[in-house]
Amino acid sequence: MEKTSILTAVAIAVPWAAGILVAVVRRHWRTIGFVGALVSVVASMILLTAAPGIRSLNEVLMVLFSCLTLGAMLVLPRRDCTPSTIGGILFLLGSTLLAYSAKDLRVLLSAWILSTVPFFSVKWFGARSWRPRAGLLLSSSALALAVVIIAAQGRVMVIDGLNGRSPGGISVFGLLVAAVIFRKGICPAHAWVADAAQGGPAIPTALLLNGHFGAMLVAKLIVPLFPNTARDMFPVLSYLALVTALYVAIRGLSENSPRRLLALVALSQSACILAGLESRSAEGITGALVHWFVVTVSTMGLFGVLRLLEVRFGENLTASHYLGLAAHAPRLAVFFIVFGLALVGLPGTLSFCSQDLLIQGTLESHPQTGLLLPIATAMNAVTIFRLFARLFLGRQRTGFTVMADALAREKWILAAGVLFVVMGGLFPNVIVARQAAEAEAVEQAMRWPANSFQSSARRRPAVPNLKPEAQRNLGSRLRLKERILFSPK
Amino acid sequence: MDYSQTMLAFAVLAPGVVFVVLALVWLAGWVPSESVVSRITGLTFSASIFALAVVLWRIAATGAPAVVLIFGNWFTVQSYHFPLVLFADRLSLPFMGMTVVLAGLIGQFSATYLHRERGFFRFFLLLHLFAFGSLLAFAAGSFDLLVAGWEVVGITSVLLIAFFQQRTAPVENGLRVFAVYRACDIGLLVGVFALHNWSGTASFASGLPSLTGSRASTLCGLLLLAAAGKAAQVPFSGWLPRAMEGPTPSSAIFYGAISIHAGAYLLLRVQPIVVQSRAASAMVIAVGLASAIHGTMSGRASADAKTSLAYASLTQVGVVFIEIGLGWRSIAVAHILGHATVRTLQFLRAPSMLHDYHKMHSAVGGELSLAGKHLNELLPEPVQLWLYRWSLDRGHLDTILDRFVIYPLMRLSRLFARLDGVGLTGSLSQRESPLSRQRAAGQGRV
Repeated sequence: MEKTSILTAVAIAVPWAAGILVAVVRRHWRTIGFVGALVSVVASMILLTAAPGIRSLNEVLMVLFSCLTLGAMLVLPRRDCTPSTIGGILFLLGSTLLAYSAKDLRVLLSAWILSTVPFFSVKWFGARSWRPRAGLLLSSSALALAVVIIAAQGRVMVIDGLNGRSPGGISVFGLLVAAVIFRKGICPAHAWVADAAQGGPAIPTALLLNGHFGAMLVAKLIVPLFPNTARDMFPVLSYLALVTALYVAIRGLSENSPRRLLALVALSQSACILAGLESRSAEGITGALVHWFVVTVSTMGLFGVLRLLEVRFGENLTASHYLGLAAHAPRLAVFFIVFGLALVGLPGTLSFCSQDLLIQGTLESHPQTGLLLPIATAMNAVTIFRLFARLFLGRQRTGFTVMADALAREKWILAAGVLFVVMGGLFPNVIVARQAAEAEAVEQAMRWPANSFQSSARRRPAVPNLKPEAQRNLGSRLRLKERILFSPK
Repeated sequence: MDYSQTMLAFAVLAPGVVFVVLALVWLAGWVPSESVVSRITGLTFSASIFALAVVLWRIAATGAPAVVLIFGNWFTVQSYHFPLVLFADRLSLPFMGMTVVLAGLIGQFSATYLHRERGFFRFFLLLHLFAFGSLLAFAAGSFDLLVAGWEVVGITSVLLIAFFQQRTAPVENGLRVFAVYRACDIGLLVGVFALHNWSGTASFASGLPSLTGSRASTLCGLLLLAAAGKAAQVPFSGWLPRAMEGPTPSSAIFYGAISIHAGAYLLLRVQPIVVQSRAASAMVIAVGLASAIHGTMSGRASADAKTSLAYASLTQVGVVFIEIGLGWRSIAVAHILGHATVRTLQFLRAPSMLHDYHKMHSAVGGELSLAGKHLNELLPEPVQLWLYRWSLDRGHLDTILDRFVIYPLMRLSRLFARLDGVGLTGSLSQRESPLSRQRAAGQGRV
């Protein structure tokens, strides 16, 4: 067994084991959860350092998600810190990491379904709306059907083996796109996201939404497997994503429920990720990948701060009038505005770079519809500022018995999130360069001539003298592909 | 890096570094005393003034057109790159000098003016951030970097409008200003994209790219949108009186001096392109003329001192726009510098205006006589009344914006909310509908 496989297994299995331990022992659950998540973080980091620079998106996502879960363990208020919540979060962590690291379609499908399991439990999830469950169920069904069709055709189930072969043709492509639409909450299947955020537990729901399984499916499966179909049909998904970004941004202007409002803004911003992935330009795809990280961290930060406010000042927070909470919780106010503005492109944060790249990429590929992106972002910025103003500004309220600002553990974990978005904004090349290489590979896949992947797969054995070290950087890799593609038989 | 480049970097970065340090100190739980904060502010801006003086001396002594400091690319993706270039030439240096001198003065003034104010520390924190954003915008060697500084100025401006956060009016007005800024900044973002697309770079450190008529007009139109938003020109002037809710020192530096002239700076920066296109020149002149007329009329009908001064600023910036459209670059720069200085003084004296009047009246031994007849008295009375109503309602600009942009957008938003509500289960609609939320909020209001 390879070292990477062992580490991947550790990163996935330890949270699951910790989740079971929490359910059995029912004591010290925060500590057990923290340790479980920490082990995942360490294993994912070792995997990332061992991964080749140009193909490390999965490992980066594993590190990011396990760090988010680690942070969630610390931010989780005592009121929410129950064995079932901790167990559910750990289960979600293991499932998400399994999906990121899956190399087989069946494993990916299992992880996809497993990650939704806790949300079907009414006791755990809490939201009584049927739409979150319907969205998750439909997305899982679409993916399952696609996998079944591929299996029925007798094809291999290893993802790398299917690259460029368009398994199942347009029907499987359509099912995969449907899975993305339902899971990501793209119009017209967007309403479940706000319902989930409104009725469900804030932090676990934020983790579910920040798995970004829809974007992962696009980057990991749809583009590599269907380069030609994606090239022709993908603009439809891109238009839908841009329309979602604008629709949801407009929808947020009149929303007064803080949770619903945050979900709408996060959805609008994460829809931009899909638009960027489809832009077929290196700038757009890099922007999308970087934006993925920013949206994930900022959204988690915002939901975390909101939940901390709810447990301090009551669950009936509303953006319909001014609550003046900054006087009671000034540090939470600062964290909220920094995360909020980081989500919508504040200079000095990583999202400024990602938005810059996204706008360049989408306007380049869709000069007319691409304009929706800056318009949606501008509206989201106004919405976020409105929410900040309504929650934190205004006349100071009296009569609170608890006046606590952020506790030490909350303060430092939120500060770590702020540090990520700010340091990432000041020194973006560390992140952008890595994602640019990844994006270049995605872009190449989408620009590849018709049937090139099939050709390359067939011709691969005809080139005997491949140098392994040639794969260490992207330039060598691309030259290698050219040699494979254009070498005489 | 030679000494002038070091000084340029220092002048731009010093306020930003102070902001970061003060913010971290606050986050760690320590709030420095007023005297410490004001001393740090004084030292920072004094050092920045000295640094800029060195840069100016270097340019004057060597006759070099500019001091350029290239840090490389902030980030690169294939052929697209974000150049990190600081650039001090004969256009940016006056603006940078104005920023550090006035920010230093405002810092000294505010140490007394805001003494024992609850938001004293917050004000100084934001003053440093604003100075950093302005210096970054003025010293940027590319439009990409200019956008970064531009946005920082916008955010700081909004946070200072909402400075008196205990009252809802400043906060509401801050939100309105923020919305206008963000809407107009779309022009800048798309303009920068257009520059990248058409010329391969948005850097102007080695000269602006030459663009053809239609492209020049499009680019100037987009940048004019951003400039008009930031400079409160017609039709975006409605936010200016709202911005007067902030503390007087911030009104002075933002809307009397720096922020309101940032739009003019942007147009001056692209002025070689503006003059290449008659349509662009005409647009700039038309906006400037409309703003100057609107500003002078609305200012005359304003009841409070700060709003009158704000509209006076607007009028002068409108005239500056006309000068830029006509290609009178040097006159525009001189006009900006003179106007910013005088207007800052007027804003800072505004709170003691009555005291000044009383002092003057005592000196002359009674009230001053009326100035005499006004030209508007030559107009028929119904026209005078109509003009008065028009001026009193500030050209109906806010009403037009509300009726044709904000209300339709909010109606659309509510329609979308209703559409999203279709298909809810009975239990959900009872538990999570807006009505039930309001009821719940009413019962257990925080």
